[in-house]
Amino acid sequence: MSTADQATQASGCGAPAGGAPLTDAGNQAVVQGRVTRQGAPVGSGYARLLNGDGEFVAEVPLGEDGGFRFFAAPGTWTLRVLAPGGIRAEQAVAAATGKIANLEVAV
Amino acid sequence: MSRSDVLVDAEWVEAHNGEPGLVLVEVDEDTSAYDKGHIRNAVKIDWKTDLQDPVRRDFVDKDGFAALLSQRGISNDDTVVLYGGNNNWFAAYAYWYFKLYGHQNVKLLDGGRKKWELDSRELVTEVPQRPATSYTAQDQDASIRAFRDEVVAAIGNRNLVDVRSPDEFAGRLLAPAHLPQEQAQRGGHIPTARNVPWSKAADEDGTFKSDDALRTLYGEAGVDFATDTIAYCRIGERSAHTWFVLHELLGQPNVKNYDGSWTEYGSLVGVPIKTGDES
Repeated sequence: MSTADQATQASGCGAPAGGAPLTDAGNQAVVQGRVTRQGAPVGSGYARLLNGDGEFVAEVPLGEDGGFRFFAAPGTWTLRVLAPGGIRAEQAVAAATGKIANLEVAV
Repeated sequence: MSRSDVLVDAEWVEAHNGEPGLVLVEVDEDTSAYDKGHIRNAVKIDWKTDLQDPVRRDFVDKDGFAALLSQRGISNDDTVVLYGGNNNWFAAYAYWYFKLYGHQNVKLLDGGRKKWELDSRELVTEVPQRPATSYTAQDQDASIRAFRDEVVAAIGNRNLVDVRSPDEFAGRLLAPAHLPQEQAQRGGHIPTARNVPWSKAADEDGTFKSDDALRTLYGEAGVDFATDTIAYCRIGERSAHTWFVLHELLGQPNVKNYDGSWTEYGSLVGVPIKTGDES
């Protein structure tokens, strides 16, 4: 079973908070990471993925560990974080097939 | 039908929560979100296990929908206010279901769970106990649901609105970017479809844009308001959100949601497909 199959089986079509479980990228272009504030995970909030034109592509709620994960396509993307209290943060990220791009987002 | 008939805001919910005849229902893409905290008195509907047939690719039938609502303690004359995460994506899908089976009084909480959460409003884990009812569902309203043959016949004749992201429309992605990239056999879109990503209908906090801004959005994308419309996405949920915008907020007649969407169309043998960013 491929990594993607395992992730699909675990999540169905829904998006579990933090994204579907994943151990290696397989044939996917993965963008994942963790949102922290003063070193502690931000467990309430949302991660949004925007494409190279700034267009919204997808959104997941942050996991309890502040984690998020997207299955993108090769290219440059922007990750935007929204959290209670008007917290916003943004970070550019490059994705490539078969690779996991790991982000640490401090807000 | 107008905005105030189909949308409520958080202040309205806080003012009326707990009144008899009002039922709050959370429907989330992340089906565990409710268990971590929800609006007080809200019950949960799971879009997958509660609303989908477990074997065939189809919805729960009329009797199944009636049994579900009866079990959740919802009556035919209750006002149902739906909300969920991701700009009300799955709440809008459930809204379309309620309308499909003839529930009269159903509304969305503008901004859904996201705005409620970002505004730091109260979330509780206590699950309300509602006595069971005897809900009666109507036959499916065929005027709001499109099937594949009708979609193929609509090419070049009706508005087809593809509400997926530009990358899915062009065929660069096969699924939304928070899911593994698989599903349909082919990537691309239905020829002549206009790409108006569902998310453009909402601001970043998940609330719907104004009627004027929405008319401009669809008009500039080439949607002809004098013509009937079919909306589709990958599995029919994001397009339920757009169906809500066109049919319920803007009052467009003859708008259908094609719930088979790209996972069906992109796997059909012999139908035309276009790739790239152009319609």
